[in-house]
Amino acid sequence: MSFIDVEQVSKSFRINKRSAGVAGMLMNLVAPKYEKKQAVKDISFQIEKGEMVGFIGPNGAGKSTTIKMLSGILYPDSGKISVNGYIPYKQRKEYVARIGVVFGQKSQLQWDLPVIDSFELLKAIYSIKEDVYKKNLNRFVDMLDMGGFVNQPVRQLSLGQRMRADIVAALLHSPEIVFFDEPTIGVDVLGKETIREFIRELNAQDQVTMLFTTHDMQDIEKTCNRLIIIDKGSKMYDGSLQSIREKYGTERRLIVELNQEEELEGIEGVTIDNLENRKKSLSFDNNQVNINDLMNHLLQKYSIRDLTVSEPEIESIIQKMYNGEV
Amino acid sequence: MNTKKNTLSLAWVYTKMIFHSWFQYRVNAVLASLAVFCREATGILVIYFTLLKFDVLNGWNMYELLFLYSLLFVTYGILIIFFTGLRDFWKIVRNGTFDRFILRPRGLLFQLIFANADWFAAVGHGGLGITLFIISAGRVGIVWNFQTIAYYIAAIIGGVLIQGAIFLFLATLNIYLLETGSIKELFYYNGRKFAGYPISIYHKGIQFFMIYIVPFAFVNYFPAQFLLRKEDMMYYPDIYMYLTPVVGVVLYLLAYLFWRYSIRYYKSSGN
Amino acid sequence: MLRAYLAFAKKSFLQKSAYRFDHFMGIFNTILRIFIFWEIYQALYGGRAEVDGITMSMVTTNFILSMGLSVVFKVNDFYLPDKLQDGSIATELLLPVSFHGRMLASNLGSSLFQLVFHFVPALVVSVLIMGMEAPVSAPMFILFLVSTLLGYFVLWSISFLMQMMSFWMLNVWAVMTIKDVFVNVLSGSMIPLWFMPDWMQGVLKFTPFSYIYFTPVQIYLGQLSIKEILIRFAMQAFWIFVLLMAGAFFWKKGQKKIVVQGG
Repeated sequence: MSFIDVEQVSKSFRINKRSAGVAGMLMNLVAPKYEKKQAVKDISFQIEKGEMVGFIGPNGAGKSTTIKMLSGILYPDSGKISVNGYIPYKQRKEYVARIGVVFGQKSQLQWDLPVIDSFELLKAIYSIKEDVYKKNLNRFVDMLDMGGFVNQPVRQLSLGQRMRADIVAALLHSPEIVFFDEPTIGVDVLGKETIREFIRELNAQDQVTMLFTTHDMQDIEKTCNRLIIIDKGSKMYDGSLQSIREKYGTERRLIVELNQEEELEGIEGVTIDNLENRKKSLSFDNNQVNINDLMNHLLQKYSIRDLTVSEPEIESIIQKMYNGEV
Repeated sequence: MNTKKNTLSLAWVYTKMIFHSWFQYRVNAVLASLAVFCREATGILVIYFTLLKFDVLNGWNMYELLFLYSLLFVTYGILIIFFTGLRDFWKIVRNGTFDRFILRPRGLLFQLIFANADWFAAVGHGGLGITLFIISAGRVGIVWNFQTIAYYIAAIIGGVLIQGAIFLFLATLNIYLLETGSIKELFYYNGRKFAGYPISIYHKGIQFFMIYIVPFAFVNYFPAQFLLRKEDMMYYPDIYMYLTPVVGVVLYLLAYLFWRYSIRYYKSSGN
Repeated sequence: MLRAYLAFAKKSFLQKSAYRFDHFMGIFNTILRIFIFWEIYQALYGGRAEVDGITMSMVTTNFILSMGLSVVFKVNDFYLPDKLQDGSIATELLLPVSFHGRMLASNLGSSLFQLVFHFVPALVVSVLIMGMEAPVSAPMFILFLVSTLLGYFVLWSISFLMQMMSFWMLNVWAVMTIKDVFVNVLSGSMIPLWFMPDWMQGVLKFTPFSYIYFTPVQIYLGQLSIKEILIRFAMQAFWIFVLLMAGAFFWKKGQKKIVVQGG
């Protein structure tokens, strides 16, 4: 049996459906309508100890619901989940002592108090031994470069700093498995890089099994070898990042912002679209057009204010999957 | 044994933390305690001004009414230290903190209680209760001896448990319903307001509600009757004056079972 | 311009209606509260026809009207404080509609909702159970409506002034709670002001509280002569003016504070 074993798990919710306007309000007063929403549909996968797996999918795809079931907050409607021999939603106390969970959007730190106070509280909650606590704290604070703000109240931290503190909070008790739910959301580029670096190192050094959800492809590219794509509650893809790249990750887009309004001349193999405010979008196939050559070409020919390369977005990959391009 | 010690030390860490963050906002916290004190004093001012005009209400004079009222506040003052987390449970569910509690290897009720203990509201309510007790207890003809003091303490414990059970029950409803503000208003806050007066003045339906549905009558009316022996006790069985602790324990156990059952539901329905 | 305010009013009207069950319970609670005070006073009257010339039925009318109206008069005391706290005030001030106008409009919207869907049903049921004095005459009833509207603005202006404190205080919950204590005890909604001791009546003359519910109730019951009514109207207008001016003064000072902080 695998370390994490998910077998044909489904989950649905009932939501109150409201109509708009005064008439809708009156209708809702008299006869509220409910709608069944299938959040997760028949998902199965296995994960081995020490693996690092990325869950990717658009908002509302069922990522968070899956994480909640894996961490024991929710029961599945049907199917089986077992993690390291535990059934998450049944043996709660024994199980949660062995896992760590980071919710990118919901901090577990005490808002008014210095970061270190929250860590002390977690030490008491998990009954972490003094030496283990000290060792973990020093190591993580060092790795995440948090020395400057562990004694500051959480409310004064930037989002990136707070996220780092939240990650440490989830790791102090040396969990065997860590779930990250959108650990980089809203964090600036530099902050994201620090977090990704840390996650990579931790996985490599401690063999901690990690699952994380994101809708940022970059997160996955820089950390995971394995990728599970979920959309509308179903598993769309499960495999290496490499192979998905080869199949349809070759399209790139270059966004060009010009200093003045002018038309770009056609370039072979590149599709040019006009965006607002003197911005143009250039799409091309990475295998056919060399991106550096293209940028040089543009810089020589036009007066350019800004150039950005955009990675293929998860939505467009999923769209391609639906179109049968896999 | 070890876990017991752990539990105690965790409760202590939580408490330290609450005081720590209180200290950061001490001006606000003092003001808030004062505001709670004033807000709760509203009912007392109403009794004071009304009785100034009318002298007696169904045979109860002003001091007897204040004594009746003091029992409510003393019990609530103790209760609110421990049950703020249940009062605010809807917020705790909605902002995701409850999910976080589930992810920690500790009892859910334990975390709810100690992570949210409100020592300062307790000062506001309890302070009012003690003030009222001091003003009234000497003027209502109670002979304070071993028997009456023991009775008083048992009644306070029972009263705390009864209200704790109501809190726990209402908190649990949040798992099923989106908005429970009005139910709380009806079952708890209205009940408490009615309990400020001898229930004998009310319509039979409301008396039934106060004795058998949300048994506030056992929090203050029947215990006060044991100590004051007013005439209107003849409408009720004498045994009711001795039932407060029993009602408290039974009700709390029922509420706890409902809570346990509902946690399972929470995990299957999400939020 | 008016359409913009109407949009804000409509928005708060619709927001009010979002919770169905809660709303029905709210109506029930209001009726229950009136009923309880009615029962307390029945016990206090103990069958007497009148106390100090006030009949039980007049007391009932006082409770139904003032407690009923209090659900309509409910002011969102945290309109400005909330916007100051989350910083959205900065963008709000850039909108091409007056901020104070928005404050009032959104309150009027929810008040209208409360009037139609909360006050009216609660009134009907309460009158069926407890009965109530009929209006003395049609003209008096119209004067009652006028003073009710003025009473609404007195209470709104008190809140308006108090909300300005949020420029200087991190958390105004405590202050608002203490304000509510004054309104509840001194406006006549929990103790009919006829029964206040003389010294308290004297104090009340110098406060705006009795002009919120008690003046309309007195007019409704025909207790006041036309001359007295006109004086009360003037006093209501006076308090609205004074409170709004004071509020506007602190608004100006407070606004400078935002600019200085670079918000």
